[in-house]
Amino acid sequence: MEPAFRRGDLLLLWNRGMDTHVGEIVVFNVRGEDIPVVHRVIQRFGGGSEPLQLLTKGDNNPVDDTEIYARNAPGQAYLDKERDVVGSVAGTIPCVGYVTVIFGDYPWLKAVLFGLLGLSVVMQKN
Amino acid sequence: MHSSLVRIQNVFGYFTSVAFAVAAAVAVSVLLSSQTPSASLELKNVQVVKGRPHYYSTKREEYAHVKFDLDAGMRLAFPQPPPSKLTHPDLTSLFNWNTKQIFMYITASYPSTSPSIPPSEAVIWDAIIPSDHAPFHPNTYIHPTSKTPPKSKSKSKSKGKPYPEGASAGIVKLSNQKPKYQITDVSGKIAERENATLSLHWNVQPWVGALVWTNTKSYGRWSGLKGGADKFDFPSLKGSETIKKEDLKTETGAEKNRGSPA
Repeated sequence: MEPAFRRGDLLLLWNRGMDTHVGEIVVFNVRGEDIPVVHRVIQRFGGGSEPLQLLTKGDNNPVDDTEIYARNAPGQAYLDKERDVVGSVAGTIPCVGYVTVIFGDYPWLKAVLFGLLGLSVVMQKN
Repeated sequence: MHSSLVRIQNVFGYFTSVAFAVAAAVAVSVLLSSQTPSASLELKNVQVVKGRPHYYSTKREEYAHVKFDLDAGMRLAFPQPPPSKLTHPDLTSLFNWNTKQIFMYITASYPSTSPSIPPSEAVIWDAIIPSDHAPFHPNTYIHPTSKTPPKSKSKSKSKGKPYPEGASAGIVKLSNQKPKYQITDVSGKIAERENATLSLHWNVQPWVGALVWTNTKSYGRWSGLKGGADKFDFPSLKGSETIKKEDLKTETGAEKNRGSPA
């Protein structure tokens, strides 16, 4: 979702009783996978008595997300709001999550951190 | 209690507390900035054709191609402008100190066939307009200029701006604009649907804090959007022999052009 959100930004989500409209940014999982995707809703059909179906597209992508939805039978042409959407983005705090991202990208940093903590425990007088 | 480690910890702790307090102040103070957005949106042409609108379409379905005029013009919210400028529509006042960018989009919403289902909505055009303080990104919208593009690419490196010449961010004047996306319905049929509405929306993405969408009602200093909607009906299906292929071309957005004018 560049240039709106970058890796490491914290997103605050809301998912209580929402009627998702186009233009909202939703976090969803592709059915069958556990990868959350943060994209914007560009089409909606249904709602009310039928399941609400959404089509999404990332701002930085030239095409919509049809290609990344589940392909195997039964394939997905649209997102089902109840089943697939984790929440809708309501707010953001930039750069806060970058520590987690760094530890995810360079796992040896965790060992370094624990080493430093151990050292500080050993070297303190009390 | 005076070792350097403790001092570093105290300084760092104080730094994070102050940073969070400033961020909270910035996020909340947005409510104090005055906004007076207005725009005029007019449908120019809508055609419903049967064909394959997307590269992944497996069957022929009906899709609609909507062209529109948009005039979201300029007025400085501070200081007060001369009265002659007050007639212009205005989207610039949405940019405050906490705005990283504004995502403008135009949607077409039409009622569904059964009364228990709410209206369907589809985005037909969108643009990312960064604020002047935001770092450059190749995905920003570049406003089309009326002049012809320069022939030589090496000499005049015209850095396209998201707003027309001599204007400021938030002014968008489009005439007979092609859509970026065609409208398809999940049932495959969109001809002769009535009571459709073309409307302008925006999403303000802040540096920190809550995301804000279009408000038509006024809340304190934030006036609601004036104008920016147009009602129309989808026409009946047009035969393929009466439609020219060029009429159905869609606009490619900046995310496809990556820096060249959209």
